[in-house]
Amino acid sequence: MDVIACRDLTKRFGPTVAVDRLDLRVSAGQVYGFLGPNGAGKTTTIRMLLGLVAPTGGQIDLLGRRLPDPRVTARTGSMIEEPAFYPWLTGRQNLQVLAATSGGCPAAEIARVIGLTDLNDAATRKVRTYSQGMRQRLGIAAAMLGQPPLLIIDEPTNGLDPSGIRDIRELLRGLAADGTTVFLSSHLLAEVEQVCDRAAVIVRGRLIDEGPPVTLGAIRRQVRVLVDTGDLATARDLLGRWPAPHSADHADGELIVQHDSGRDVNAALVAGGVIAESVIVEQPRLEDRFLEITRPEIGRAPEPALKGNNHDVTVAS
Amino acid sequence: MMSLLRAEFRKLIRPLVWGSGLAVTGFCLLITWGVANNARGGMASPRIPDVCASAATAQCRHVIAHAHAAARAAATATGALAQPGEIGHVAAGMLASLPGLVLIALVAGGHWGGEWGQRTIRQLLSRQGRRGLVLAAKWLTIWAAGVATMLICWVVLALAGPPIVAGVGLPTAHAGLWAGLGSSVAAAGRAALVLGLFAAVATAAGTIARGQLATTALTAGVFLLALLLAGISSVGRLSPASFIQAWMSFAATGYLPTNFWSRFAGSGQHVGQLAGLMGMTITATVAGLAARWRFAADVTA
Repeated sequence: MDVIACRDLTKRFGPTVAVDRLDLRVSAGQVYGFLGPNGAGKTTTIRMLLGLVAPTGGQIDLLGRRLPDPRVTARTGSMIEEPAFYPWLTGRQNLQVLAATSGGCPAAEIARVIGLTDLNDAATRKVRTYSQGMRQRLGIAAAMLGQPPLLIIDEPTNGLDPSGIRDIRELLRGLAADGTTVFLSSHLLAEVEQVCDRAAVIVRGRLIDEGPPVTLGAIRRQVRVLVDTGDLATARDLLGRWPAPHSADHADGELIVQHDSGRDVNAALVAGGVIAESVIVEQPRLEDRFLEITRPEIGRAPEPALKGNNHDVTVAS
Repeated sequence: MMSLLRAEFRKLIRPLVWGSGLAVTGFCLLITWGVANNARGGMASPRIPDVCASAATAQCRHVIAHAHAAARAAATATGALAQPGEIGHVAAGMLASLPGLVLIALVAGGHWGGEWGQRTIRQLLSRQGRRGLVLAAKWLTIWAAGVATMLICWVVLALAGPPIVAGVGLPTAHAGLWAGLGSSVAAAGRAALVLGLFAAVATAAGTIARGQLATTALTAGVFLLALLLAGISSVGRLSPASFIQAWMSFAATGYLPTNFWSRFAGSGQHVGQLAGLMGMTITATVAGLAARWRFAADVTA
């Protein structure tokens, strides 16, 4: 069963198209990643899913009901961007107020979500004294109130320390294991890769890729190799086992292959008798990937985008 | 709805609301003390025309005696502040006029406009999709804050009135403690409707302004504009300020500080009390429709 089904979902703000004919299907029990750079349309899409923003076109079915439907809203847990709370209330009081807003829930349920997000010690403190990480945890606790069948969470690990990030990821996986569908919006490739069963990549309001994270071209790493120009043809043959992005630039002894491991690439070159000048593992930016996809007709990478510091770069050791 | 109301009332328990209520109550106390003090001063030295200050003519003696009698009468009438029943007029009148407006504007700014300013509106509407219910709950809680302040103000004035009157040395009225209670209750009932109008405009202002300060400013601005309009003879009778003036039957003069409105709104431009009620109802309905229309728009906070 599809918990979320969007068809031709479109949102315009004046002349600006924030979301452009988006089709999405999210099955029950999945952790579904919604990936895109800042300004891609993720939050606007989430606002439409939650009924905060009316679509300009298309339709949304949530939990089997066509939106807008306030009954669905009450059954969806959500956290949008930085969670906001009433600063003069304690963490526990905030949860009580939020629970009451959608019909109320027993005190034991509030204690449960406080425990799950490790906020037991802070629950009686006023929220204005909370750190960003604690607010983030409280936001996730609020989203989980009442054990909704669908959680829509925007950037859940913002402001968390590494152990907090790990805890939240484990928590989300655990929720999915218990049957909760989690729709997780993020601009962090690694987060989506680690947590999600499937992911959609949205850039400038358009869906550019969808599937299990490991198969998404949009988030696949690539290895940039620099060899002596005399070895270029040999190197190209040696690295032929890995796909090369169609925009790969072969000028000046440079080759690009899509693969996670610089060590593998270097080993293949050494085995063939080619010594690389440099081997660099890059995480392409989604924006670059989008430009690449939307410019297939000119068959080249956006000029400086695939070079230099526009990538998350790891130098292979 | 009850659960939503519980949540909204819980949110009202905050320093801003307590502080605003306290300030309005304090203002009522100050006004009461000031009026009592003025009445005592008037009794001690009544206004006597300069020509009679040193003259001892029969006509002047008559004028002086009349001035002393008038000052004693005013002081005795002001002594009604010592009656818990009568002093309800002060609480009702103050809350149905500018102090009440300021209170509602401040509460609405924090309680409703602040939902946008603090971005909690996202949480609120993503948990409660029935926006009409949210609007109703906001209006009801803002109105309730006004009514509660009026009742607290009445109680505080009832407790403080006797010592104030005794302290400044005003003659106390011979009427019973609860004299005037009936008319005070009626005034409080009428004031509750005025507070409902203030709250309706404030709720609409919140959906339009979408911010704490902007909501407070817009609410206050609407009624200040209405007060200005009320003073214009050609359109004054159509001003919401005139409707309130007529509905509350605010006296332009009197011994008790029963309002902070008539000196700005004039005499109500000859609007009858029923017409005032109808005008208030129409104004509140327009505000409600504006709120519904604006609140249906996208929430991008």
